[in-house]
Amino acid sequence: MEQAEMYGRRGCQLVKELASAEPGQLTRFNDDLFNQVIKECNVHYSQFYELTRKMQEEGLDVQFTRNADHFGMLIHHLSLLRNKRCLMAYMYKRADILRSLSWKVGRVLPPEIEGKLSDIEKHYFKNHASALQCYMREMDCLDLTVDMVPPKDPYIKVRVLEDIGVTAIGDKDTNLACHSIHFLKCTEAEPYIMQGMMEELVG
Amino acid sequence: MGNYYDIDDILSEEEHVLVVFQKAATGVGLLDPSSETNKVEQGAKVELPFWLAQELHARHAVAMSIPPCFHQMTRKEVQADAASVDLQSRCAYFYELGCKIAPLVADRTIGSFLLYTFSHRYKAVHSKAHTAAFATTTKPLCLLTKEETRLYEAAQSSMTAFRKWRMGGSRFSTVFLPGRKRKSVD
Repeated sequence: MEQAEMYGRRGCQLVKELASAEPGQLTRFNDDLFNQVIKECNVHYSQFYELTRKMQEEGLDVQFTRNADHFGMLIHHLSLLRNKRCLMAYMYKRADILRSLSWKVGRVLPPEIEGKLSDIEKHYFKNHASALQCYMREMDCLDLTVDMVPPKDPYIKVRVLEDIGVTAIGDKDTNLACHSIHFLKCTEAEPYIMQGMMEELVG
Repeated sequence: MGNYYDIDDILSEEEHVLVVFQKAATGVGLLDPSSETNKVEQGAKVELPFWLAQELHARHAVAMSIPPCFHQMTRKEVQADAASVDLQSRCAYFYELGCKIAPLVADRTIGSFLLYTFSHRYKAVHSKAHTAAFATTTKPLCLLTKEETRLYEAAQSSMTAFRKWRMGGSRFSTVFLPGRKRKSVD
């Protein structure tokens, strides 16, 4: 591992990746960099421990002595905390985006997003989506994920942008072919519009 | 700490400041590129990230000096024409760092300098954001610090929302999923 990159620089790179992504969008989980930061934490810890042992061998009070070894230990400790903060922020922000996605796309993630998640994140999304479903079921299957924009009219006119095929809309089957125009209930059309598969026709 | 997870807070604390070590520190030779042993000697001048410098300063292990972006040269440029100074290249987190560093160094004028700079630049940022014809114009943006950029973008998005409300149109905003074509809502 390149030593020159220590003292929180790699951790900061992880956070910079988050900052440079488009708001609300996920980048691929950077396994490599994430693990490097964890390795760095271990290096800091072992160096910290060595300095502790050195002080103990010299018969010094580790807690209260303020010599060069103490300040070395302090710097390693602070670097560890900094790395921890960067790792936590990385996980936290991504989890935030996942939570908001479950309101928009429902239980099944589009494959292009799923490919960007780590295994833990896939698990987290699944659990969060089920928790949401469970909650909605308790209220007599009230769907909380629709009508995110207060509707002005219960029905809207939409044009289908992608070939969705024959789907059950309400109580009948409708052929949602590409470029076809339909008059649907807001609540039925909303999930498709959110995913960019349909667009509202105005005027 | 309400901003533990705040990305801007984390990145603003990564800005480098020059410190002079008042006490030696063993086992951390990598911090000082000029050190031959695995130790930073007392009196060594090292550039540290602010998060580290701040903690060491609190424990009297280092003495922090004022970063160059708050020096006389920048101050003179700001007094001449605040809006045209390229603060982004000097310090992208100019205001955040200034606010954090002001209580730590022996310079009581940083606060008023920050206020002066911000108030004189704000008018330019504000008027450009509201009159810009296109969604993104890069020329004014590349001079702005992160905080100013956020203000600029907020003003732009509120203008866009206002225009959309005036013109009517779809009230649904599509979630832009990567891989799918982006639909403009305007």
